[in-house]
Amino acid sequence: MAGYNIPDTDYMVSGHVGCPGCGATIAMKFALKAMGEKTMVVIPACCWGVIAGPYPQSSLKVPILQTAFATAGATASGLRAALDMKGDSETTVMAWAGDGGTFDIGIQALSGAVERNEDFIYVCYDNEAYMNTGVQRSSATPFGSRTTTTPGKGWKKNRKKNMVEILAAHRIPYAATASIAYPEDMIRKFDKARRMKGGTRFIHVFATCPTGWRIPSEMSVKIARLAVQSNVFPLYEVENGVKYTINVEGSRPVADYFKIQGRFKHLTDEDFEKIQNMVDKDWELLLRKTSYFDRLT
Amino acid sequence: MAQEPENGKKIPLFISRSHILTDVNKTGSWRFVRPIYREKTAPCSTACPAGQDIPRIEMFFNQNQFEDALNTILFENPFPSVCGRVCFHPCERVCNRAGLDEPVAVHDLERFIGDAAARGELKPGLKKLPAKGKTVCIIGAGPAGMAAGYFLSRMGYSCDIYEARSEPGGILRWGIPRYRLPETVLTFEIDRIKQYGLKISCNTPVTHDFVEDAKNRYQAVFIACGHGRSLKMNIPGEHMADDGLDYLNRLRKGDTAPSTTTAAVIGGGNTAIDVARSLVRQGTKTTLIYRRQKQDMPAFKEEVEMAVEEGVTIMELFSPVKIEKHDEEFVISLQKMKTAGMETDRGRSRVIPDGGPGHQFRTLKIFTAIGAEPADPWLSPLQKTDATLDLSHCTLADSDPPLLYGGDLTNAIQSVPDAVASGKQAAMAIDIFFKQGRHAITDRLNSCRVGNGPALSMARYMGEKQRNRHEDVVSFEHINLDYFPRESRAETKTLSLDDRVRSFDEIKTTLTIDRALKESRRCFNCGICNACDNCRIFCPEIAVTLHAGERQIDLDYCKGCGICVVECPRSAMELQEEG
Repeated sequence: MAGYNIPDTDYMVSGHVGCPGCGATIAMKFALKAMGEKTMVVIPACCWGVIAGPYPQSSLKVPILQTAFATAGATASGLRAALDMKGDSETTVMAWAGDGGTFDIGIQALSGAVERNEDFIYVCYDNEAYMNTGVQRSSATPFGSRTTTTPGKGWKKNRKKNMVEILAAHRIPYAATASIAYPEDMIRKFDKARRMKGGTRFIHVFATCPTGWRIPSEMSVKIARLAVQSNVFPLYEVENGVKYTINVEGSRPVADYFKIQGRFKHLTDEDFEKIQNMVDKDWELLLRKTSYFDRLT
Repeated sequence: MAQEPENGKKIPLFISRSHILTDVNKTGSWRFVRPIYREKTAPCSTACPAGQDIPRIEMFFNQNQFEDALNTILFENPFPSVCGRVCFHPCERVCNRAGLDEPVAVHDLERFIGDAAARGELKPGLKKLPAKGKTVCIIGAGPAGMAAGYFLSRMGYSCDIYEARSEPGGILRWGIPRYRLPETVLTFEIDRIKQYGLKISCNTPVTHDFVEDAKNRYQAVFIACGHGRSLKMNIPGEHMADDGLDYLNRLRKGDTAPSTTTAAVIGGGNTAIDVARSLVRQGTKTTLIYRRQKQDMPAFKEEVEMAVEEGVTIMELFSPVKIEKHDEEFVISLQKMKTAGMETDRGRSRVIPDGGPGHQFRTLKIFTAIGAEPADPWLSPLQKTDATLDLSHCTLADSDPPLLYGGDLTNAIQSVPDAVASGKQAAMAIDIFFKQGRHAITDRLNSCRVGNGPALSMARYMGEKQRNRHEDVVSFEHINLDYFPRESRAETKTLSLDDRVRSFDEIKTTLTIDRALKESRRCFNCGICNACDNCRIFCPEIAVTLHAGERQIDLDYCKGCGICVVECPRSAMELQEEG
């Protein structure tokens, strides 16, 4: 295994019903490699609600609690409380929700739990729309994207919500982004989150959806990597809401990332310029936060 | 599970629990393309006349499997230390890495590995096949003859090598100056070949009668005695010039008597450059006279550049027409030439006299080095018949027992790796002749070609596992550059110019271990699996398994997404349609 430092044991099994090339399944595979068997997963309605197995099957070797769409934060809090009552401080609770269950429907329960600084890891695997129900836009859908609810000329003109910043603003111990194209970085972050017991850890994982993004399945990881290389999805960590660390610095033009995806194929060079501008500004803001808080702390 | 509400009445709470895993679903049925492991050929291997498996050598090297790296070289080429120094490294010219930054310093790595073996740090582990009970007569102990002896001995043949000079090595020993190839390096590699048990008889020049007799005494004869006679310019006064190759021979023998204060060297090949640079080292102000343009010299470009750095003056487009002696001085009458279109077959400019007045060049000594030819007519097939086989690097005459001609006698490019290629091809041809007969030679040799080029792989011939080299050659577009950050190429330390022109010490040093390892990591390992594990890491189906170092696709579950193929950095996998 030249060059990698990745645990060998998998807690996800074959035969799951994720689409070919599904980024969300790669995300789960990496996450559990770091989390290990002492993990309980809470899954609200999302793609993974299906991938985790139609009853009586399970695609994970760790317990899963399937719950209602809006309740991942609340259910994870309750599960944590139950484990604490049983005196089990070893098991980690990991809420595993899609962008709909995090950015939109689940944000109330999540914000509530996070404000209480509940002791669990909340993971949003973000495929940027409601995918298993037929690709409807979410507040995680990026500017410029077509979905079935933003079709044709009505492609999405709003920006993607910045979830990590919202979570960081709750001043939780750890908020980070991760990508399926950077397995070592991702596994390191999950391992770090697992060890940071006692408060909420939030990890925002970029998970390509070949079906919804209208890309060839084999490009799944490549496109996730391009999102990082073009700073569309920067990899960074925020500790206690103020200590920023940027993990990868991108340098490629955003068009490299956008042009190979069907959901963006209507965009013009003018649009790319606009998007480039937005991404550059976001990146600059991230850099400024990093250095500003550096001086402050 | 039950809860106790406040009123004390138990309410059953049913939560359905899964009890089997999804691995009962054979999702492989979703697949319409399937990924397969299929190694391809790297362009460097194809360009190497000796057909070395370069990406595998660099892979073993950077995985610290140094002896495997050495053995991978020795499978195809008995002269790593020599070739690491004197080969013109065509591999590096086609290296895919050049598309990203600079080619991998393949020759420096080869030299490093060869030198580590010479220091005794690595032990070669190539076995000899059981004795075949046949003896082959090899004429000439130059690189081609020694290579043939090496490959034949490994295949179990006995070999008797006859060499006219006092020691084996041919042009490597007598024609290449010390500053390019120290004698100790050559001697070590020749001794290693000798360990396979071949018998070398030195001081034994061979005649035509000897060859005719050898056909009775041996089961096969391979003639690779090189070009024994220097070409003539056929101009008046030519006899007053010294032969350049003779001069190099004398130097090698230790005759270091200072030459003259000025000298002219006529020619543009490697020998001419070697003569000129050797003269400079003896304190002679040297001018090289070449009838064509400098850019068209057959000498290696790097050597020409170094000659100029060292103070050799190059007069291009001057053709000697007469040599005269005035007192102590020679006067060479020169005709200025000009270019006139291109030669169709060799890609260089045609030259014709420019019609202007003649020039005269005065010097104290003249050396000619314009090429050489076979010394005798019997050094090529006397009669060509339909049964005569003209192969890329040797010729098999219509005779029984088989009589082959190789090395410089047949090679289009007269280089050390081409000589090795000739010895290898002859060895394979002889073996095929005995096993399957003359008619099978061409097809069998073709089946051992490396990629789409002419080079032959002995590993493939001898059926080594995992060495089935594919005819598809990996191009730059097939490399996933996400895995290769830019990194500059290793620079070897060289002697300062002052030190270079004052001595015959070797100019370049061998890389340090750290730098060599770093350089080997620059290699893309085009087309071969180096166990990077990307296919297994990224598989969303956990359908790539690893058993005893071998990766396999579990077709029960593989949905054919193709991520493994795209994420393979080096094109060792591909997608195949189901059907």
